[in-house]
Amino acid sequence: MKKFHYLIASIAAAIGMLATTAAFADIKVGVLVPDSGPAGLFGPSSRNAAMLAAKKINADGGINGEQIELIFADAGVAPAEATQAAMRLWKGKGVEAFVGMHNSALREALIGRFNGEVPYVYTAVYEGNSCASGLYITGETPSQQLAPVIPHLMQKKGVSNWYLIGNDYNWPRDTNVLAKEYIAKAGGTIAGEEYVPMSVSEFDSSLQRIKESGADAVLVTLVGGASVGFNVGYAGFELDQQAIRLGTLIEENTLAGIGAANANGLFSSSGYFAAIETDAAMAFAASYKNAYGADAPALNSLGQSTYEGLLLLAALGNKAGSLDVAAMDAAAEGTQWTTPRGDNTMSGRHVAQNIYLAEGTGGEFGVVATFNNVASSDACNK
Amino acid sequence: MSTILLINIAWQVSTLALVTLGLAIVFGKLKIMNMAHGEFVMIGAYAPIITSSLGLATWLQLPICIITVSLVALILERTIIRHLYGRMFDSLLATWGVSILLREIVELVFGRSYQSVPQPVTGTIDIFGTDYPAYRVVIFLFVIFGFIVLAWWNKRSKVATQLKAMVENPELAQAIGINTGRLSAGAFVFGCATAGLAGLLLAPTVQVEPMMGLDYLLKSFFALVVGGLGGLDGLAVGSSIIAGTQSIVSVAYSQTAGYLAVLVLSIFFLWLKPDGIRASS
Amino acid sequence: MVYALLLSSLLAISLLAVPMLLGDFVAYQLGLYLIYGITAQGVGFLWGKAGVLPLGQALFFGVSAYSTGIIFQNVDSLSLHLVFAILTLAILGVVAYVIAAVVFKRRTNSGPYFSLITLALAMIVEQLAGTTTHITGGFNGLYGFDSIAGLDPFGSLYYLIVVCSVSVTLLLMILNTLPINLIAKAVSENEPRMQLLGFPTYALKAQAFAFSAIIAGLGGWLFASHQGIVTPTSTGFALSAELVIITAVGGRFHVFGPLIGAVVFGFLASEMRDNFVYWELLLAVVFIVVVLKAKGGLAELIVVFLDKIFPKLLSISSNEFVRTAAPPSNRVLKAGNLIFCDVHLQIGVVKILDGVSFVLPESGIVSVIGPNGAGKTTILNTITGNLFPTTGSINFEGKRIDKRPPYAALKSSIGRKQQVPSVFFSLSASDNLAVAMMAGRARVPDYFKRSTLTWYNSALTNIIDHPNVPLKTALNKTAQTLSQGHRQFLEFAMTAATEPKLLLLDEPCAGLSSEETSLMTELVREFQSQSDGLVVMVEHDMSIVEAISDKVLVLHQGRVLSFGSFLEIKNNTEVQAVYAGGTK
Repeated sequence: MKKFHYLIASIAAAIGMLATTAAFADIKVGVLVPDSGPAGLFGPSSRNAAMLAAKKINADGGINGEQIELIFADAGVAPAEATQAAMRLWKGKGVEAFVGMHNSALREALIGRFNGEVPYVYTAVYEGNSCASGLYITGETPSQQLAPVIPHLMQKKGVSNWYLIGNDYNWPRDTNVLAKEYIAKAGGTIAGEEYVPMSVSEFDSSLQRIKESGADAVLVTLVGGASVGFNVGYAGFELDQQAIRLGTLIEENTLAGIGAANANGLFSSSGYFAAIETDAAMAFAASYKNAYGADAPALNSLGQSTYEGLLLLAALGNKAGSLDVAAMDAAAEGTQWTTPRGDNTMSGRHVAQNIYLAEGTGGEFGVVATFNNVASSDACNK
Repeated sequence: MSTILLINIAWQVSTLALVTLGLAIVFGKLKIMNMAHGEFVMIGAYAPIITSSLGLATWLQLPICIITVSLVALILERTIIRHLYGRMFDSLLATWGVSILLREIVELVFGRSYQSVPQPVTGTIDIFGTDYPAYRVVIFLFVIFGFIVLAWWNKRSKVATQLKAMVENPELAQAIGINTGRLSAGAFVFGCATAGLAGLLLAPTVQVEPMMGLDYLLKSFFALVVGGLGGLDGLAVGSSIIAGTQSIVSVAYSQTAGYLAVLVLSIFFLWLKPDGIRASS
Repeated sequence: MVYALLLSSLLAISLLAVPMLLGDFVAYQLGLYLIYGITAQGVGFLWGKAGVLPLGQALFFGVSAYSTGIIFQNVDSLSLHLVFAILTLAILGVVAYVIAAVVFKRRTNSGPYFSLITLALAMIVEQLAGTTTHITGGFNGLYGFDSIAGLDPFGSLYYLIVVCSVSVTLLLMILNTLPINLIAKAVSENEPRMQLLGFPTYALKAQAFAFSAIIAGLGGWLFASHQGIVTPTSTGFALSAELVIITAVGGRFHVFGPLIGAVVFGFLASEMRDNFVYWELLLAVVFIVVVLKAKGGLAELIVVFLDKIFPKLLSISSNEFVRTAAPPSNRVLKAGNLIFCDVHLQIGVVKILDGVSFVLPESGIVSVIGPNGAGKTTILNTITGNLFPTTGSINFEGKRIDKRPPYAALKSSIGRKQQVPSVFFSLSASDNLAVAMMAGRARVPDYFKRSTLTWYNSALTNIIDHPNVPLKTALNKTAQTLSQGHRQFLEFAMTAATEPKLLLLDEPCAGLSSEETSLMTELVREFQSQSDGLVVMVEHDMSIVEAISDKVLVLHQGRVLSFGSFLEIKNNTEVQAVYAGGTK
């Protein structure tokens, strides 16, 4: 009988605890991650990082004293459907702020639909220059990833003749416009520039062009499977003996697909790598491993970016005193907070952040240079 | 034309022929518009992953590939495909559903991340003055050899003749005692196994992930449309034209132009010569 | 018609009630699914009715959405927006027509190839949409425009979508009751027969494709307003594939099918995608099952279910067998000699016709006889244009007819009845006759009038009202359920109804009992005396040949062996030798 009473009591206590935590889960934050589609492989790590962020934020007292609760939606489907999903969270489930880790097409669609009525943090690396009321961007922009890195690499590796290759859409093209500026400023030359359709997966003609151009450095703005295929073929033709490669969207999964044998002389410039050895980053990696185990989806800059975005939301929300867009817009400039990536400052609705240059030779990333507090020239003017 | 361009064309043509062979059998002979063809290539490309996750030795990749792909093909043939002989539109739709199914299953089992398959043969070989990846040369030679064997088998073997008879006139073939059910199933499984083998061979040279099949599917269909469904020579002609066009236009202009050129060329063939380049239409 | 109005009103009422009952947000979601549903209804018409499977329909959807967005960005007045909308739809229709006509004209059975062409075209457009950033905004999409008339996508735009959806549904349902419906089904069912009835089937299929393209364009137009952004994903293969899946699962044989498919699929997808890991797997399995087992999709299942519960509810009133007089045929009916002048036809090394020359009289019945392989059916094929002679010429009524496609045959007043009865198996006998009555007779407005379905002329009544012809009681049965003999009579009636001056009959008595045989010969004789034209009949049965022929043409190994009266050729020693197995 006593056992039964204990059972009832503990159940009651559990329910009570749940009830109280539920009562405190006041602020719903919508998190849009790609669970399907071409970017679907980043879904799991994005979700994990986001949940870790929510735990930290709540442990630190939430936003303006209120705990947050995450609601996820699949942003990997076509923009029309993904917009619907976001709208469902907003109008249907009372979400008060959004964090989005998805492609630019959806971002533009959502900007149109949100119309500045709800705070929206965009966390993925992108081409820059997207500005709207209520929009705050933690994602790296080409100027951040390249302005300090290109001259550094050119000097360190003694390269100066660059070949630019990317997929045929906005991000690579906008990136290359800036890249050409930086290369010229550092006294380099352009050996060639080409754009490859998304659906093409063989690169022999491109690799041949690179070989014949005599380039000693290649800037890679290919995405997804194309990036893997290109880099595998690149090493197959032993082009790694001729030219180093620098990519601005080569993260741990892509590197794994490329394989250790094919990653010789492959550099990546990004705001985050799992291998960063600062205290903050290592602590973060440790807590991720504790929470999700050693076999969890690997940490990478895209997946980890949701953590960054949520922390920004919390910092900005707390500074503004509310999640009202007008207040947040007014408070945005100059906001500072610290994350596993380092110290961040909001500047022109983008984030001046640390940029890391990593080398993938041997199949694992190792950070070879750090650039602190790099502001974006693709930010929004006041 | 530089040496390297010719070598690249040779490579593209031979890999396209290798990948298309399975579809030439399944679509060309059995008239099944197998939209899941690319997925069989993909499953074959995953064979090294399967082998290493089971902790087996590397040389077992080949038998594992053949067994896995054949098993999947056999199950599909017995449950779905055998209802579709002679129903071309329905075969297109049903196999398309199958392609989604296979992709999803692979995703659920292996996840969506990119897999890396190391090259069994590394380094480059000097060919006529240019350095070319050795592994590719090996595959190229294998493809040539394989096709010669296949052509010889096609001419000589009893099964090949029975297959031709069945394609020509199924009822008469049955009437003279050919077990068309078993022959069709065998042909289908063989076609898919060939696709899987192609995937295994190509895996070290491309990205390996669940979505990799679509590109192979489209190129294979276009190669068959251009070359005609008449057996190995049609396959060779079609692969040459499609792969050759893409290679040459990609080198001469850009990759986008190459991609569009293949599509435009295919449209013209579908319109003017759907039976292939040598048919008198 | 009443049925159509009733169902459409039901649809309208239920859709209009959604914002009140379920809230504005559900209406917003439903709006997108209705847009896909409208587009899919076009696919359903094209595929389920006309038998053409489009794998690239998003091309029209997306192009319309893009042009709408561009117009909205640059032009402000509402009237101009509407003018441009109509212009866009018209251009899409014309382009679609041209593409389809050019492909279908080349070759009759190009179905799967046409589907692949539409797929390739959609892929090209998707690539261009992503590349031409200065026009389309590229990958990030085209945005920065307001919806039509400033309607709120979360509010009143829904009503515009409902109006469009109900209108398209009503239009399709009305079309179902009109003769054009029969024409579409007949084309997909038996294209060669339609061609012999003088219908240029390539043009009809192209028109169906154009119609579906316009509907897709309407969907795209609404989409631009609803979303406020257009991206390359709205033009490519993925969306095209989704439209086909929606249509297949929802049901392509019923007007409501694709709507049901779009709405069910849309809501299920949005609910399950986030929560159910195996959602795509389930979808694939359902799709496969539908393709294999349930071709009519959900709509068919619903109809069958309702039919079991309310058997009378869904029975559409059949033609009350009212008859109206058909207008005269479109051709000038004059008789003329059929002249073959040294016609050779060689396929490969086989010489099927090896120098055939003859002149047939203007009127009467000529039988063509000869052993198997003599080339009898081939002669008929060259007359109707199913085969072209290698050399030589064929003249009829003073005009050359030998290099024209089969659908031009009726224009020259040539009708043909096939050896194996070629009718429209899934249509009822009376529908078969209705199609035949429109052949070479109906003008464009007639296809949209219900009265056309009741046309009868004397040639037809002579046959149908004949006391011994068994068709009168079987008019409601589908042609598939008729016996071989009844099908022969049906096809004969259909061919006779077109009043050809040259009627080609290929073994009309094949498979008939002796009573049916004498009935058929009587009908042939009567037809000829009424039309006073020429009947050319391939026959094996000598008693029939003897009974009704005015002249007999004997063919052997691709050449004319003899031509004369029955008695003459009966006594001809060469003919005897060939038939008795002498020379070879």
